[in-house]
Formats: sequence, C-alpha cells, structure tokens
Amino acid sequence: MQRRDLLTRVFEPHPASPGAARYTNAVLRTQNNEAVKFYDDLIRGKQCVINFMYAECHGSCPAVTQTLKTIYRELKDRMGKDLFFYSITIKPEDDTPAALKHYAEMRNVDLPGWYFLTGDSYDLKTIRYRLFNMDHPGLDSDLALHSGYLRIINDARNSWGMAQAFASNKNILTRIAWQDPPKSYAERVALVRARQAVINEEVKKYGYRRGGMNV
Amino acid sequence: MPKDKAKNRPEIESTTEGTISRRNVLKIGAAAGAASVLAPNMFTTNEALGFQGIPEPPVRCVNTVPATPSPAHHPFVDEFLAPFPEIDRPLSPPPTEFPNLGAGEADRAPHQRWAQFAPAHFTYEMSAQVGLHKFHSDYSPTYIWGFNGKYPAPALLQRYGKSTIVRFRNNLPVSTTTFGRNEITIHLHNGHHGSESDGFAGDWFSTGFWKDNHYPNCYAGLDAFGGSPGGNGPGDPREKMGSFWFHDHRAEFTLNNNVLGLNGMYIVYDSTDPGHEHPSNGSLQLPGYYGVTDFPLILTDKRFCAPDPTTGRTEMVNAAGGDKWVVNGKIQPYMNVRRRKYRFRILNTGPTQTYDLTLIKPDGSVGTIVVIATDANFLEHPIPVDAGTNAGNSNSNTAPIVPGGLRVSVAERWDIIIDFAQFQNGSKVYLKENRPMSVGFPSPDPLPSGLNIGNVLMQFRVGNTEPWFPADTPPIPATLCTYPDLPATDNTWEWQFTLEAGRFRVKRPGDTIGCTFDPDHSAHCILRGTTEEWLLNNNIASGWTHPVHIHFEEFRTLERYVNGVLVGKLNDPTLPLHPLFTGRKDVSRLEAGQGALIKMQFRDFNGRYLIHCHNMAHEDNFMMVRWDICPDQASLNDCLANQQICHAELEAKERFSEEVA
Repeated sequence: MQRRDLLTRVFEPHPASPGAARYTNAVLRTQNNEAVKFYDDLIRGKQCVINFMYAECHGSCPAVTQTLKTIYRELKDRMGKDLFFYSITIKPEDDTPAALKHYAEMRNVDLPGWYFLTGDSYDLKTIRYRLFNMDHPGLDSDLALHSGYLRIINDARNSWGMAQAFASNKNILTRIAWQDPPKSYAERVALVRARQAVINEEVKKYGYRRGGMNV
Repeated sequence: MPKDKAKNRPEIESTTEGTISRRNVLKIGAAAGAASVLAPNMFTTNEALGFQGIPEPPVRCVNTVPATPSPAHHPFVDEFLAPFPEIDRPLSPPPTEFPNLGAGEADRAPHQRWAQFAPAHFTYEMSAQVGLHKFHSDYSPTYIWGFNGKYPAPALLQRYGKSTIVRFRNNLPVSTTTFGRNEITIHLHNGHHGSESDGFAGDWFSTGFWKDNHYPNCYAGLDAFGGSPGGNGPGDPREKMGSFWFHDHRAEFTLNNNVLGLNGMYIVYDSTDPGHEHPSNGSLQLPGYYGVTDFPLILTDKRFCAPDPTTGRTEMVNAAGGDKWVVNGKIQPYMNVRRRKYRFRILNTGPTQTYDLTLIKPDGSVGTIVVIATDANFLEHPIPVDAGTNAGNSNSNTAPIVPGGLRVSVAERWDIIIDFAQFQNGSKVYLKENRPMSVGFPSPDPLPSGLNIGNVLMQFRVGNTEPWFPADTPPIPATLCTYPDLPATDNTWEWQFTLEAGRFRVKRPGDTIGCTFDPDHSAHCILRGTTEEWLLNNNIASGWTHPVHIHFEEFRTLERYVNGVLVGKLNDPTLPLHPLFTGRKDVSRLEAGQGALIKMQFRDFNGRYLIHCHNMAHEDNFMMVRWDICPDQASLNDCLANQQICHAELEAKERFSEEVA
C-alpha cells in the first residue's frame, strides 16, 4: 500500500532542487522490504523529516521516536500525502527490514508516511554526510552522537532546515512549518500584515514585541 | 556591463537544471513591469532583471569525502584593499517610525527613541543580492550573495551623534541552487539600539521585502546621561565603541548566508578617534585614514571547485570548512605599506575557524602587535603582544599558545597597530596563521626561515614614505580611555554552553537538558535599568571552543575560570586577568573547560535580544537563546510567566500526557 502510494502520486520537485546529485539515488529498503530510491521515491517533490537511529539503541533513539510519534499526531492530515518521516538506521548490518518492522510495530509507529529505512552501509554513510554536511563531519558518524537532529527537507520548495530532536514539540512543529513558507508574494504580504497586527497589540501591552514568527 | 550580459546570455539558456530560462526571465520581467505600475514592490528587482543576469551556480560544486583541494593559486598576486565605503543616499519612501507595509517593508515593532534620533542624519540602502566576486586573479569569478552585490560588503563609516537608517532590501533570488536561504535578518554586531533593528534571528524577511534598521550611533547610558562634549551625541562617552560589523543572522542559516558573503564592516568615529590624524581636540591621533592607514582586516575561509566547464566560473563549495584563507575578499594578498604606523581592525567572520595570528619579521622572528581595542572597545592602555611578555591570549591550559600569537575566534574584533617604521625599505613582513592553507605554487619571494607559504595570510611590502603620504602619527598614547565604574549587581545568572549527545544546548540554572533557540519564548527576563552578573560556562567536557556573543551592550569580564578553577580576576594584583581580557568585549571566547564571569547593564531600550555561540555551525544548531529587556514590572512578570521551558521532566510529561490523551 505504501509502495503504491509512493509511485502513484505525482510530486513536482522545485526546479532548483539539486536532486539525486546531492541526495543520491541509493536503493534503500523499507520496513516492508520494499526497494526505494532515496531521491526519486523518498525526497523528490515532498517534504520530509529525517532522523538517524538503530533498533537496538537504548539511549536517545526511543525518545526521539516518541517525539516523532507525538508530532505525527499533529501532522496526520499531511502524513503520507506530502509529508513523510524517514528513520534511517546507522547499523544496517543489524537492522534488516524485518528488524525495523519489529521495531516499528513494537512502538506502534508502523504508520502511513513513516518509513524505517536500511540499505548498504556505504550508501547510508554518504546520505548521512550529504544531509548533515553543514555540520561537523565527524559528529554524525559517532554512534553515540547520531540522534541529535532532525533534518527537515522540502524538495518542492528546495528548502532545508533542521530541528533538535529534544526541543519541545511546538518548537519542532514550528521548524517543520518554516520549511513550508507561503508560496506567493501575496501570501507573504498577508502574513506580514497579520504579524504586524499582533506586534502592535504586543507593543501596547508589554512595551515591546513579545512574540516571534508565529501568528 | 553589456558585454558581460551578452556573454552570459547563452549560458542562461543552456542552464536547464538551473533556475531560470531566458524565456522565464522575459516573462517575469514583463510581469514585474506591469506590477510596478500597481505596487512598486510587488516584484523585486531581481525577479525583473533575472537575478542581475547572473545564473545560479550548477549544483555540482558540493562537498566531497574526503574534501577535494581548491584549485592552486599564486601567492601575493592581488592587492589588499579596504572595502569601498558606501555613500549615503536619500531613501524613497522616507523612513518611518512604524513599518511602511504598503511600500513593502517587513513587519517590525516601531523604532524606539524615534523622536530623539529622527530624522536620521544619514540614510543608506543595502541590497542583499547576487553578485560575482574574484577571490583571486588566478580564479574566474565566483557566485556570491553580497550587500549591493559585493564581497566584502561596502563599509559603513559612521559618527557618534549622527544617527543612521540602513534600508536592508532582500533582493535575493526566489530560488537558489546554493545552500543559502533567501530570508534575511541583519544584525549590527554589537550596536546599542532597539531590538526591532537588532536583526533578531527569528525576524527574517523574505525576497521582495525590505526593512529599515535604525542605528542611533549613540553611546550606552542614554537614560542616565545627557549630551556629551565634542558633538558626539547623548549617552556616556566612556562607552565608546569603534569596529562593528553587520551580518545576516537568520536562524539555522547564519553560516550558509555568511559563507555566501552577507557581511560587512561598520565603523563609528568620535572626537577621540575621528577618522583622521590631525591633532584635533581630544583626538588620540591613531593611524586613522580609512583605506590609507586604517584598514579592516576581514578573515574567512573558503573552498572552491575547479572552474565549471559550462559557466567558466570558480564556484565555492556549499559548505563550511575551507582550505583557502581569505583576507578582505582575496586569497594571500600583498599590501604596500610605508615605514610608519598602520591600524588594522581584525574581524573573523568565521564561519567556524579560530585564527592564531603572528607577525613574522624578515629574519623569521616574531614581531610585536600592539592591541588597542578588543571587540570595538579601546583598551584603557594599549597592550603589546609579542613572543615575550604577552605570549598569546588564549589564557588557557587546554590549547597550545602560539608565541606572539593573537587568537581571533569567530566574531571577535581586535584593533591592532603595526609599526612598519622598524623595517628597512624593501623588506617583506608576513602575517602568519597557525593552520596552513593549500596553495599549490611556491612563494615568488624567499620566505623568512621557518615560515611555510601555506601559513602566510598576507604579505606586507615595506616602502619609504613618499612626501605626499601622511607622515607617521605620534607614539600610541599610554592611556586610550577610562572605563566607567561598574554599578552594583542586581541579579546573577548562569549560561552553560553544552554539547551533550550531539545536541548543542544552552543551560540555565536548574535546566536538566538545556534550551535551544525558540524565537517565541524568552529564556531569561530582565528589568530595564538593571545590572546582572552572568557566568558563561563551557565546563561540560566537550572539546569545543564556544565564542559566546551577547547582543545589545558590552560587558566587562570579572573573572575567568579553567575547569572550575579561578585563573584571573579583574583588578586583582595577586591573580590578574590576562590583560587582553580586561577590555570591554561582546564576545567571550570559551575554550574547552573555560568559564567567564561577566557584568553587563541592560538600559535605554526594550525588547528581545540574544546570547549565542558565534561559531556559526553551533548557533545554526540552536546554541542560542533569547533574553528580553522588559520596560516595567508588569511586563517582566508576564515575561517570567511565559519563559521558555527547557526541562527534561516537563517535556517528558508533556509528551506522555499527550500520549495518554
């Protein structure tokens, strides 16, 4: 079902998207043992939230999975339609599709639009480096330090962002929203006007602008 | 430019995986033309002009593992020059206290102290836009994002008592193949002004909008001090600052946008430091002609790909971490200097690297650098840094000290004076960085013994002073300024900068997991007019250096710690602070294990400000929190009630309660 979803929907990437040249088109396997191409099937034209984990991790991975699960509820109208979660293993030698399926089922997160992915070790390393290359290269290859960040990509907008996996749910939701900004100038003008109304109220009440980006 | 445009045209058509076809450019251009009749800012200039006619770089120039070295370059080919000063110009529409949304200004709070500082004496326009820049003569041009299309940005030369409006326009491309983000918020580091002009990291505006930043160019202490002598404007003249810089501060993308080039120099003069060398009233008569005897020295590092076969351009790699050290936009430049004193305003724009600079004399020995200002603030007494007495300024037992080295972490500024009169006519002097860069060609000149070409940041060619060149300035005064006494402390606080389990955090007292940047919540609320002591701590073992920057006003360092042990105390003869930490600063460099107790005042303005690690990779990973100055008790109480929560148990509770529900 999930595989069919991926193939039948038409996702348009942003014309400036670096595409497979950046993300690679490595063939990965989902928890349902479906072969998927990393860029063409998973990134192209979609918004997604990516984290790295492994099934036997008992440190922060379960907490990150828990976080994603609560965030999933907030986003469930979009999940599997234009928004996806990808939890990619960093221990492919242990994490077979079956092991990931077990992990997902055990935690009640074998949900539409949420894929647990494994593949060739070299491919996964390449993907990890390409996704986090703004960061210190060594950081995400250290197994103990792998789970700090969620990479948020919106290929339809060619925009990148991230969130810290242990920030508050609201903070993470804000950052997911940041990667899906208003599309047209008119919408942006409307947002600016809406924010200005809030700012004027706040300045009157508190003596300065109190809120941030959210209206 | 018509010649360049003609040259670019076929490339635009052939760039299929780029952003625009020529047809689209024409289409957009026509639309913009029509729109401009209706609303002048409906479409931006770059949409109309097709991004200044400069196609986006191909996506090929990405980081590789292992990193590919940049193309080779010949040392000492390009001349070291100061960024050109920007000319002020009238703004249309004129600046207003409340944002002019109808004309395309982005949302913001009204300017504070508008009545006191309006109309601005000077107004400028700075357009963030695409440009081409040659980092070296051996290189073809590189695609950059620059203010008014230039890197480094045009310099803003200012004067105390003369307020300024800078209209920052976002004319960046609507879509880009680079790793930059076309949403900007410009911070003047470390201006004393309202938070609506402070480039708060969450206040970005997107392509097509503009925002007026109002810089009163005033000394701190407006509430308590009236006008000051010498036409320098209100505030406490003892709070004078000089070498500021402005840069993009967009949350998550500060590194990216600064690597692409969105930063520049902002210098403020007053009667003690007037921007000339005449013996005018109160002048310290330091080397002071901008671009002649007084130069910004802006450091960054870059990595480049081989010239692209389709565009012929040498693109920079879309990532941090370079193998070429760039000084004022040029790789390994030379500078012709006369036998006299020069002032250099060293600024490290990062994004992440710390520099250890030494002056290498023709005989290979270490020369003397006289430090006169730390982070834009004059030291009370100039401090010579040489291989002897003040060897290095790391004040650390965890990092090697380079003898005679001046350590410059990201965003730190060090104003130094080098006296070239000590060298013979025709001799060559070198500025050395401790880490080598890749060069690829040998030095055209024999280098002093022990100096490798990779370590040379730039070369000074010493010549005699021609009669038309300004004569040398008098000796550097023994006293440059006097700091005001620090007021009593109203509150103490602690910020811990930590990297735990891969997560950059800022911890407050009582936080179990620490905070990440949240634009909507303040992590610390402060009543306007109070003074606080903050302990900045990098004491959780991580091995990282965190140059901690505090917006808004300068602080004094009271104490420095290494691994919890007091190593220096202000005005304590038995355990003195390292002299280079005695100056007022706005960046406190915390190497692994280090801590600093600082004292800072919160006065004159209200609003949201930031404290963050200025390693741009760290701040983009949210090692940054917001603190607020509240005008009154009611506002403070409300701020406290809505403070950011950075507590593991509370967050876990939040999650599990949702789970049950």
